[in-house]
Amino acid sequence: MADQSKLGFEFPVYTFTVEKEKIIEFAIAVSQKENKEQINPIYYDEEAAKKAGYQGIPVPPTFLTSSFFWTGGGLIGTANILGIDLSRLLHREEEYEYFSSIYAGDVITRKMKVVDMLKKGTGKKSVEVTVLEAELINQRGELVLKSLSRLIEI
Amino acid sequence: MTVNYDDIEVGNKMPVYTSEPITITHLVRYAGASGDFNPLHYDQTFAKVIGMKNVIAHGMLIMGIAGEAITSWIENKYLRKFNVRFLSMTEPADWDDMENTKDRATIIVSGEVVKKFEENGEKIIQCDIIAQDALGSKKLSGFFIAALP
Repeated sequence: MADQSKLGFEFPVYTFTVEKEKIIEFAIAVSQKENKEQINPIYYDEEAAKKAGYQGIPVPPTFLTSSFFWTGGGLIGTANILGIDLSRLLHREEEYEYFSSIYAGDVITRKMKVVDMLKKGTGKKSVEVTVLEAELINQRGELVLKSLSRLIEI
Repeated sequence: MTVNYDDIEVGNKMPVYTSEPITITHLVRYAGASGDFNPLHYDQTFAKVIGMKNVIAHGMLIMGIAGEAITSWIENKYLRKFNVRFLSMTEPADWDDMENTKDRATIIVSGEVVKKFEENGEKIIQCDIIAQDALGSKKLSGFFIAALP
């Protein structure tokens, strides 16, 4: 059962570099390809990206969720902090708001906090909801992406 | 080819995108790419321990496939918002019974433009999307908002 005292909890701030090879690996995974020659060249060829109107190699739309797993002991560490039982955990909803493009080589600082914790229903039908908000800020101090993740325990 | 605001009308359909049948190999690849190593997504013995009959795909892989579907139509750089609610789990296809299991693991992403408006000098569209398997079971629903040229 999620630890209700964690409402408002702010996770340690985490900074990471957006690695080009990681973007390629991710783009291959979500397009179910075998190698980079089969994916959209904007994800591996800087010239192709610039021709397509990007200032560098961009990231796929859901790429930055991965940063969640690279930090604070990853999913298991985060679940432990929040007192969530991993075997009952379901991801219910995910939302991204994009403010600016993110490119390979950017240094991103992630600030994540618990913005809501509630219980819905009663008895065996009840579910507990935890909502995490993450703000991603680039090396120029610009907010580039905000995400909301709604997790439930059944 | 760039899709322009003037080309789009409310009611227009997004091109339908059909995934490959998801196998455990795809789940392992996504686990490595994303760092989501929850064993529920690739280790049958773990799935059994927690009372599941099979491993299931990462919800975020299905959202990633939906993102791939969207950006095959609307360029990545025009996206302003992307929201999904996860509706059901996806079991991967079995290599030893591909014919009977591929449909449950094939994700079909479709969408329809529901709003079109100008705001703060930007030309905005909102498109509702849905991802379902080839048997018709809904995996996620949501929407994206894009600012188009």
